Amino acid sequence: MTIAGSTEVAPKHRALRGIDGARATFKKTLFVCAILFAALVVVIILMSLLGSEKLPAQASLCALLTFGKSSCGLTGDQDAILFDIRLPRILLGAAVGGSLAVAGASYQSLLRNPLAEPYLLGISNGAAVGTMIALVFMGAHEWSRPLMAFSGALIATLVVYRLAQGRTGATPERLILAGVIVTTFLSSAIVFVTTLMDATRIRSFTFWLLGDLSGTTAKLLWLALFIAIAGTIVLAAHARSLNLLMLGERDAFDLGVEVSRVRLVVFIVASLLVGSSVASSGSVGYVGLVVPHLVRLSLGSDNRITVPAAAICGAIFVVVADTLARTIIAPRELPVGAITALIGAPLFVYLLRRR
Amino acid sequence: MLCLGLLLAFSCSKPNNYKTDNQVSVHQTIDEAGRTITVPDTVTRFISLAPSLTEIVFAIGAGEGLVGRTSYCTYPAEAQKVEAVGDTLKPSIERIIALRPQIVFVSTASQLEAFTNELEAHHIAVYVTDSHDLEGVFHSIERIADVLGKRAQADELLKQLRGRVSSVAEKVKSQPPVRVFYQVSDEPLYTIGREAFITDLIKRAGGISVTADVPGAWPKYSAESALAAKPDAIILPTGGSMGDANSNVASALKRSPAVANGRVYKINDDHLSRPGPRAVDGLEDLARALHPEVFTK
Repeated sequence: MTIAGSTEVAPKHRALRGIDGARATFKKTLFVCAILFAALVVVIILMSLLGSEKLPAQASLCALLTFGKSSCGLTGDQDAILFDIRLPRILLGAAVGGSLAVAGASYQSLLRNPLAEPYLLGISNGAAVGTMIALVFMGAHEWSRPLMAFSGALIATLVVYRLAQGRTGATPERLILAGVIVTTFLSSAIVFVTTLMDATRIRSFTFWLLGDLSGTTAKLLWLALFIAIAGTIVLAAHARSLNLLMLGERDAFDLGVEVSRVRLVVFIVASLLVGSSVASSGSVGYVGLVVPHLVRLSLGSDNRITVPAAAICGAIFVVVADTLARTIIAPRELPVGAITALIGAPLFVYLLRRR
Repeated sequence: MLCLGLLLAFSCSKPNNYKTDNQVSVHQTIDEAGRTITVPDTVTRFISLAPSLTEIVFAIGAGEGLVGRTSYCTYPAEAQKVEAVGDTLKPSIERIIALRPQIVFVSTASQLEAFTNELEAHHIAVYVTDSHDLEGVFHSIERIADVLGKRAQADELLKQLRGRVSSVAEKVKSQPPVRVFYQVSDEPLYTIGREAFITDLIKRAGGISVTADVPGAWPKYSAESALAAKPDAIILPTGGSMGDANSNVASALKRSPAVANGRVYKINDDHLSRPGPRAVDGLEDLARALHPEVFTK
């Protein structure tokens, strides 16, 4: 009886599954993102309470929850530390982490390669070269930094993609090799540009190259936040196409995906994300690798969930990593890239061995 | 064959004051990094790989023996006539060997340890200086003078320098010390730690570096700690041979008492970043900035 009944309704189910499934996924995405976003807000508030200077926790919490409208008994300096120094840096960390993680997640799906990551593919280095050229030759123009970083990232992306295309398509190994070639080439370019700089600036640049969130302007912070959010929305809107692209470009095309358009969108948006991150904070490595993989391990590989979830988790990851960077040897500081690499490199090895 | 011929011709064309190790009497000494080195009794050809050391060499009247310098060694003007062998970060080992120095002077500040080993492998003595305060700088001057046989000139120079140092000390001794933040670079924020000789200069100039207890010589520093330290004065080393980089106060420090009271001072970085004789100029610049009231006469 039950068996007969179930076979009877099965065709109807199959017909409806597309719409119902999409609706269910959308609900699940909203649910997951709401929980993760709440976690991000909690992390931001908690990390705002930590730093090289001890601030009264209760008063700081009160000031944060009233958005600084009430000083809650904080002195002028404490207020400045919390709202002018610490919070902007944390928000920048969130923007950078979100940008890099979401860029990594989309590269991995688009290129069908679990190891695709802005830093490992040389895309961060492309943005770094662009930024350095802007700093050395176009110091006067404020927007030259992010613009050149974006151009550098886009050029590096296109070069890596072209290099990776063999007669048999792009194998994961070929892509990583292309990334290594572009990375080392651009590293040489960075060394070349550094030698053109003043000796006093070289040390600060080597620090910046490792990823450092300490020095940014309000404009770059707003730009990074805007691009992180807008970029995540655009890429999340292409998540269904990215899902189909994981089957292979030909199958995706047969299923109605405009492959070349989607590829172009991902390349441009991801380059914008990486470019704005690098322009404001240097090359923070491994975020785009570690975060999407952890998200897939816990939430599955549906990009409609993975892409937005990776953005929020990336933000949490970098905010926590930077809090470590600015507190463990306080009042001195470490570059945040050193912390993300310390966590990311072992995980990268683990993922490589598991394949 | 042709190569050999050229080599012979080239080596014959060299001035014949060149002697091999076993023809020159040598003695052993210990440099400031604690390494035992063998140096010739009379040194006539040497190279300096730090601007501070080039300044010391000229100040003690030994400049005529200097056959190589770095491209940053721009003071005094005579130094610029000497051949440059590269910058302090990457001097050319080939140029150095070709110049046949008997000794090469290196400062720990330039971080050339690996390079030092390479030179020693070519039987070139390397003297490493290592000063962490003004007395250390004076000690370096004495030791370099000993190696170069210029002790009398060094004593004369040091008498002068010590005279200027004690005259500054006399002026500032009754003044309350000023709390100073020394900004090495604004983005990212670097300052001086306890191993930097500038920390000592500030103390002698009647100030206290708010980062005097931080480990290291040039730490990257937390912006919030810099603001929380409430410095009464900020020193920006800038405007020397490195151009006008670092001429703005880091944005985090805009709210500090130093900025509020207009006590931000730009001082020629060549006086402050080079542990040589001009460090005393830097000391006077600092004292004048921190205690203008005792210098207005």
